[in-house]
Amino acid sequence: MQQQEALKILIADDNDSDRMILQTIVRRQGHHVITAVDGQDAVELFIKESPQIVLLDALMPRKDGFEAAKEIKELAGEELVPIIFLTSLTDAESLVKCLDAGGDDFLSKPYNRIILQAKINAFNRMRLMHQTLQEQRDQIAENNEHLLQEQEVAKTVFDNVAHMGCMHAKNIKHLLSPLSVFNGDVLLACQKPSGSMHVLLGDFTGHGLPAAIGAMPLAEIFYGMSNKGFAMTDVLREMNQKLKQILPTGFFCCACMIDIDFNADEMQVWIGGLPDCLLVRNNGEVVKVKSNHLPLGVLASERFGVETYKFDMSSGDRFYMWSDGIIESRNVEGEMFGEERLNAVVQGCKNRDRLFSAIHQGVVSFIGEGERDDDLTMVEVQMMPQNELGLDEAHLSASALVGPKDWSFCYELRGQTLKEFNPLPLMLHMTMEVPGLRPHSGSIYTVFAELFSNALEHGVMGLDSSLKRSPEGFARYYAERAAKLDKLDKDWVRFYLDHKPEGVGGVITIRIEDSGPGFDHTIYARKKLADNDGYSGRGIPLLMTMCKNVAFNDSGNSVSAEYHWHPEN
Amino acid sequence: MDKSEHLNLSAIAELREVMEEDFNFLIETFLQDSEERITQLKAAFAAADAVEFGRAGHSFKGSCTNIGLPRLAEMCLVAEKTGKHGDLSRGAQMIENIEAEFHIASQLLEKEISGD
Repeated sequence: MQQQEALKILIADDNDSDRMILQTIVRRQGHHVITAVDGQDAVELFIKESPQIVLLDALMPRKDGFEAAKEIKELAGEELVPIIFLTSLTDAESLVKCLDAGGDDFLSKPYNRIILQAKINAFNRMRLMHQTLQEQRDQIAENNEHLLQEQEVAKTVFDNVAHMGCMHAKNIKHLLSPLSVFNGDVLLACQKPSGSMHVLLGDFTGHGLPAAIGAMPLAEIFYGMSNKGFAMTDVLREMNQKLKQILPTGFFCCACMIDIDFNADEMQVWIGGLPDCLLVRNNGEVVKVKSNHLPLGVLASERFGVETYKFDMSSGDRFYMWSDGIIESRNVEGEMFGEERLNAVVQGCKNRDRLFSAIHQGVVSFIGEGERDDDLTMVEVQMMPQNELGLDEAHLSASALVGPKDWSFCYELRGQTLKEFNPLPLMLHMTMEVPGLRPHSGSIYTVFAELFSNALEHGVMGLDSSLKRSPEGFARYYAERAAKLDKLDKDWVRFYLDHKPEGVGGVITIRIEDSGPGFDHTIYARKKLADNDGYSGRGIPLLMTMCKNVAFNDSGNSVSAEYHWHPEN
Repeated sequence: MDKSEHLNLSAIAELREVMEEDFNFLIETFLQDSEERITQLKAAFAAADAVEFGRAGHSFKGSCTNIGLPRLAEMCLVAEKTGKHGDLSRGAQMIENIEAEFHIASQLLEKEISGD
C-alpha cells in the first residue's frame, strides 16, 4: 500500500474501550492521534491542535458530537476538515442529523481497519484537492488584482503620453471607452502651429497590454511632430517606421489619419486597414473613403506609401472614422451590425447634427442584450471656421526665456530635396528658439508656408493656382504638382532668415528666392484681401496683412517680408 | 456452553492482532467501562429516566459490538429501543439479563487475557 502522509487526527469518544481501539488502529496506520473524551474537549483540542481529520462519536456527555461538529466546521472556515461520525445509529433521522451538523461520512461499529483506512485516505485526497483549489483560487484572485493594478498604472502612463490633445475642440465628437487602450484603440488629435488639425484613429492588433504598448510611441510621435508643424505624411512615415521597428511580426496598427486645414478648406486622408470612412457633406453627398494602404507597422520605410486622398471642404462637412468594433458589433443572435445597417443609419438621418449620436444609438440598440464590448470607437470631425473651434492656443505658449535672439541663416533646397523634404518644420523649429516667440508660431508658420509654396509651386513649377477653384481642377492641380515635382532637378529654393531683437520683441526678415522665371506679382499685390473669393491667389494679400514691407524683385522670383512681433502676456 | 454464542472469536482474534501488547489493557478497560454502563442503566431505571436508560444502552451496545459480544450487544439494543419508546416496565428484567450475560462474557474475556 502506498505510503501516506502522516496526518494529525482527532478522535472524540466518551467510551474508553472504543476510543482505545480506534486510536490504536489509526496510530498503526502511521497517523498522529489526539484524543478527546467528549464534545467540549474535542472543540478545545481542535482549536489547540488544528487536526486535519476529525472522528466524532455522536452521543457524548457535556457536548454531543452534533454540536461539536457544527463548532469545528465553523472554526475551520474555508479549510476542509473532514468529520467522520462514529456511530452505530442506523435510523435515517439520526444520520440526517449527522449530515446537518456538517458530518462528511460515517463509521459504524465494529470498527473495520480496512474501511477506516479507505475513508481516511479518500478524505485526505479530498482535503488536499480542496487546499489546492483554494490556493489556486487565491492565486488567481491575486493575479487578477495584480493585473488590474498593472493596467491602472499602464493606463495612467498612457493617458499622460496619449492625452486627448485637442479632442475637446468644438468640431470633434468622439466615442471611446476609458479602457479602450487595452482593446488597442487609440484616438489622438492635435492642432498644428499653422492652426490646422491632425486627427488619428488607430486600432492595434490584439488585446490587453500587447495592444496597448504600441500606442505609447505612436502617441508620442503624433504629438511631438504635429506640435512642431510636421506634415501629416512625415508623421505617418515616422510612426510606421517606429512601429515596424518595435512591434513583433503580426502586430500592427490599422489607422486612419486626417489633416484638416481650416484656412485652405482642405482635408487630406490617409487610411490603412480600417473599415471605410465616410465624408458626409453638408449638401447630403456621402463619400466612402476606402483603405488603400497596409496598416502602420507592416511595411519597411522604403515601401511605405503616404499617398493621401484630398478633399476640398465646406463648413459643416463631416468626416467619420471608426474601428471595426462598430460594424462588427453583434446582437443576441450573433449577427453583425455590418456596413449595410451603418449606411442605412447614415442615409436615414437627415439632421446631420444628430448623425453621430444616431450611429451610436443605432449600434447600441442593435446589440440589445447581446454582449457589449468596450471597443466601440468612433470619431466625427467637422469642418468649421477656425475661430469657432474653442481652442485655447496657450498650448503653443513660451517655454524658454533664454535662446538665440540675433541671428541669420541661409538655407538652400535643391531639386532632389524639394521632391521629398518639407523644410518648414525644421525652419519653424529653429525660429521658435527665440524666447517668447512661440505664441506666434501659427502666424509665422503661415508666412513661411505661403512664401514657400509660392516659390515652389508657382515660382519653380509654374502651377496655376486658379485651377483649384473647381473640384476637378483641384484634383488636376495636385496631379500636375506631383508630376512636376518628380521632374525637379537643377531647381532650387533659397531662404534667407534673419532675426533681430527690437524692444521687447523682434523682427524676422524673410527673403525667399527661387530658380524659376518669376511671375507677375503685381496683379496679386493690387488686389485687396476682401475682394478675394476662394482660396487661390490668397497667399500674397494674406502675407501683406501679416507682414510689413512685403517686396518683390522685378522678375518676381525673389520676395522679402518682415514679421514684427511683441511678446504676449 | 457454546462459547461462540457469547463471544465472537474471530472478532477477538482480530482485536488481538490490532492491539498487540495493548490487548489485555483494552479488555480490562472494557470490563471497567461495562461496570459503569450497568451502574448507569440502574440509576436511570431508578430515576425512571427513559432517555438516559436508552442512551446508556446505546453506548454499551457500541462497545460490545467492537469487542465482539453479540448476545450482550443484542440485549443492550433492546434496552436502547425501550428507552426510545419510553416504556421502562420491563427495565428491571432487562438489567437482570444484561448483568447475567455480562457475567458470562467477563469470564470468557478473563480467560482470553489470562493466556488460557
